[in-house]
Amino acid sequence: MAQQAVKTLRQVKPLLSLDQGQARSRVLNLYKAWYRQLPYIVHKYDIPKSIGDCKNKLREEFLKHKDLTDVRVIDMLVIKGQMELKETVNIWKQKGHIMTFFKDTEEPKPTDFLSKFLTNTN
Amino acid sequence: MLRLGISKVLSGAKIQHVAVVSRAASDIAKKPEKIEVFIDDKSVMVEPGTTVLQAAAQIGVEIPRFCYHERLAVAGNCRMCLVEVEKSPKPVAACAMPVMKGWRIKTDSEMTKRAREGVMEFLLVNHPLDCPICDQGGECDLQDQSMAFGSDRSRFTDIDFSGKRAVEDKDIGPLIKTIMTRCIHCTRCIRFASEVAGVDDLGTTGRGSDMQIGTYVEKFFMSEMSGNVIDLCPVGALTSKPYSFTARPWEIRKVDSIDVLDAVGSNIVVSTRTGEVLRILPRTNEEINEEWLSDKSRFAYDALKRQRLVTPMVKGCDGQLKPVDWEAALLTVAKAMNQAGNKIGAIAGGLTDAEALVSLKDLLNRLGSENLCTEHTFPMDGCATDLRSTYLLNNKIAPVEEADFILLVGANPRLEAPLLNSRIRKGYIHNETDIAVLGPKTDMRYDYEHLGEDPSALNQIASGSHPLAAKLKKAKKPLIIVGADAMARADGGAIRTAAMKLSQELQSNIVDGEWKVLNILHKVAGQVAALDLGYSAGVEKIRNADGIKVLFLLGADEGTISRDDLPKDCFVVYQGHHGDHGASIADAILPGAAYTEKQATYVNTEGRAQQTLVAVTPPGQAKEDWKIIRALSEILGSKLPYDNLDQVRYRLEEVAPHLTRYGAAENANYFKQALAISTMAKGNISNSPLDVKQKKLEDFFMTDAISRASPTMAKCVAAVKKHMESKY
Amino acid sequence: MLSSVRKAGCSLWRGVVAPRSIQTSSALQHDSLFVHRDSAADNPDIKFEFTPDNIKRADAILAIYPEGHKRAAMIPLLDLAQRQQGWLPLSAMHAVADMLKLPRMRVYEVATFYTMFMRKPTGKYHLQVCTTTPCWLRGSDEILETICKNLNMKVGETSKDGMYTISEVECLGACVNAPMVQINDDYYEDLTVQDTEEILSDLKAGKRPRAGPRSGRFAAEPLGEPTSLKGEPTGPGFGVRADL
Repeated sequence: MAQQAVKTLRQVKPLLSLDQGQARSRVLNLYKAWYRQLPYIVHKYDIPKSIGDCKNKLREEFLKHKDLTDVRVIDMLVIKGQMELKETVNIWKQKGHIMTFFKDTEEPKPTDFLSKFLTNTN
Repeated sequence: MLRLGISKVLSGAKIQHVAVVSRAASDIAKKPEKIEVFIDDKSVMVEPGTTVLQAAAQIGVEIPRFCYHERLAVAGNCRMCLVEVEKSPKPVAACAMPVMKGWRIKTDSEMTKRAREGVMEFLLVNHPLDCPICDQGGECDLQDQSMAFGSDRSRFTDIDFSGKRAVEDKDIGPLIKTIMTRCIHCTRCIRFASEVAGVDDLGTTGRGSDMQIGTYVEKFFMSEMSGNVIDLCPVGALTSKPYSFTARPWEIRKVDSIDVLDAVGSNIVVSTRTGEVLRILPRTNEEINEEWLSDKSRFAYDALKRQRLVTPMVKGCDGQLKPVDWEAALLTVAKAMNQAGNKIGAIAGGLTDAEALVSLKDLLNRLGSENLCTEHTFPMDGCATDLRSTYLLNNKIAPVEEADFILLVGANPRLEAPLLNSRIRKGYIHNETDIAVLGPKTDMRYDYEHLGEDPSALNQIASGSHPLAAKLKKAKKPLIIVGADAMARADGGAIRTAAMKLSQELQSNIVDGEWKVLNILHKVAGQVAALDLGYSAGVEKIRNADGIKVLFLLGADEGTISRDDLPKDCFVVYQGHHGDHGASIADAILPGAAYTEKQATYVNTEGRAQQTLVAVTPPGQAKEDWKIIRALSEILGSKLPYDNLDQVRYRLEEVAPHLTRYGAAENANYFKQALAISTMAKGNISNSPLDVKQKKLEDFFMTDAISRASPTMAKCVAAVKKHMESKY
Repeated sequence: MLSSVRKAGCSLWRGVVAPRSIQTSSALQHDSLFVHRDSAADNPDIKFEFTPDNIKRADAILAIYPEGHKRAAMIPLLDLAQRQQGWLPLSAMHAVADMLKLPRMRVYEVATFYTMFMRKPTGKYHLQVCTTTPCWLRGSDEILETICKNLNMKVGETSKDGMYTISEVECLGACVNAPMVQINDDYYEDLTVQDTEEILSDLKAGKRPRAGPRSGRFAAEPLGEPTSLKGEPTGPGFGVRADL
């Protein structure tokens, strides 16, 4: 697996990190940065969530991508995460944007004819 | 002004040639040589007799006009179309002036512009400045043309407010609102009434600046096509009463669709705003409705908001229909149907679309039942409806005006298909068509020879013993139009066979290969598609079938079947859009969509498939009809194999390929074979007199579930009755 | 349509209106209605039938016009009806429409277009006083005043006994014999106040006054002597240059 990743790494131009280790440290840095900001976010945005909830959500969001191996993808997500963080800390976002992190997964829309008919979605 | 109908009535003799701009006039046998004229220095070759305005139109130069209209006689009284002709000292009226060889016409010269500006100024002197409160605002010819051709400033200084002409408004019925002060005397409405509608009730009274358009006496303009004067009026003098002060043209969304209130299948534009149909206008289709529309099609739209079925309903234990959700309704219906096994019947009403028809047929066939029939009767003996030529208006609608002899059998086209009647009248006026009627004597707005009401006259004509036979046999383009009411008789099959025999005989003298003598005129929009798809006509099948357990009414609202005809324990399902006869006897109601709310296929009486488009969403929980049947099929456990419209239409195409060739009318053939099969059937024409259901104008307005629910149509009926009592 | 109103109107407008205005006087509405209103005297229930004599006349009129153009007989027939009734009620128009087999509207159009079809009850003697410029200059106002005073009526009215109707009309084409009055079919010309009174008293007495000029003229010749064409007509070549 790792060998394969290295192989692809060799073939393509790296984004930031040259290997898994570098990528890992970037992820951890981002995680820590978010972690430190969480109390301030909860306070400033006045969201109806405790710091503990937010920590859980942060962990959940990172663990969503735990199986990623491609360093470039990891890098890209880290950059996105940094952007999110910046927007959040600078209050470029609004309360609703923060709360969307906590939005339950939406119910998938029905695909078969009868359910569509009965739920009025066709 | 040409008033050909009158002069014809007067004379009794034939007028040799009438120069009227019509499509029929253009196919004269030998074409005279074309002449060259120059319009704005562009050369154009036209036939002699072409007017300046038509010549200009040929190269795309539009000359402004108010009184000129392609489908009406030339009046030449608005003077807006003045253009300069080189070497002519005065500007000429383009609409009335035939071109001469080598003329150089200038439609954009200084003189033309000044002439237009002057005419515009005079028109506006006596036209009120009430555009902000005028219903025509935004779609007004006067408004548009004064912007384009009028002066940018006014010389009209009427500081005493005494100068503007004022004319009292007329009450000409519940459909047309008149604000006569706005009238610019183009006389389009008069010409329409006189030439197309055949109701000579409008005219000009008085003279000079006191001239006004009206009826002189207090009289309604009662015609089945009266609404068209609203479209014709270039200003806001005649506007739609039901639509008054409703919307501006720029606020509304327009959807091209098809009318289903008669079997003609007129093309319409549905105007909507915020999910509401605001009005219906005609859409030009030369093959069908030209640019006219009957009053029922135009004004019955207000019924789309009334008497609607908006939620599924199931009869509770107390015998009352209770609103339920779709799931419960479908489960109830499915349970009843499952218990019924193959003892299921279905009746399709006149407003049903082909998609719903094919899905219902597929569903019932899957359940093992073939008890599918249409509400409107049609002969099922002889060759039944196996060959399309036996139930179509084979010769199509447009060529009707070319016919030289029309025999109407048990039909009143004026009320059953007003637009077909306008074609017949057009032929009568411009083409000297002779018309004979077998059936009750009704007012058709043209003269005809009445042959009595005995249907056996058909046989006499065929055998040559009838006085009419010789004349009919001499005709080069004869038509026999058999009405739906004649076909609905018990001896309908025999009448049809007689008509087929006669047509076949006449057909042999006809040179034109495309000309078909035999024509059947239907009254409802859904009938042809139903017959195409293999429904059997008439509810006899249901009445005779023993032990029907479930009866599925698909928009069947004419009350042809009642509870007494059915076994006590029969479960009646009604699927449709209006609460009418059908819903009143139902145990379960599934709300469907009306014709403005679904994309659906309708086949008109010519066999022309056309589709309606979705203009608004169905109200409440109502659904498109084929979807309801599809959902029901899944709950029943015999799932129909289509999930979207394309798949349904693919299925339609499998059954009857012409149903998805939109706009085209497939020719029907096998006349001889149809006759051969039909003659094998027994049964003779009974001697009971032929009758039609719609005899007077008041029978025209309320004929189906939609128009019966329309307040405007109710007002029309009341107005006609009042008009009958009037002394004028 | 009173001339006095017109005069006042003219002077008023001249002062007020900007020179470029195309509207110089208020639009005058016609003095009769161009829509029908049912009244006790005129409604479609009133029977109208041509008298046997007039039916013969109507047939003669219709015979003039060729087949297919019978509607041209409309004006003569309407006139016939008006002469029979004294005016033209709605039912008479209907009778003409039926006779010509035309829609009634086509007859209404014609009857309302021509001002000489009287669509409301008119007296036995219809006095039409010309007040257009030549007659006005020659004293038509006095004539009109005399008539009004004599009959004790206003312009446009019909006397209660149904004998007289006074109307003020535009030029009747007898300017050379101004002022003039038309009574039914006769022209009474070169009128003075005395002549007018004499005519009226004749009418009241049931006599038919002598029509034509009252100034002693035979027709439209100059008063007194002829002023031209007095001598013998000259022969050809009169007054032509000798060298031609």
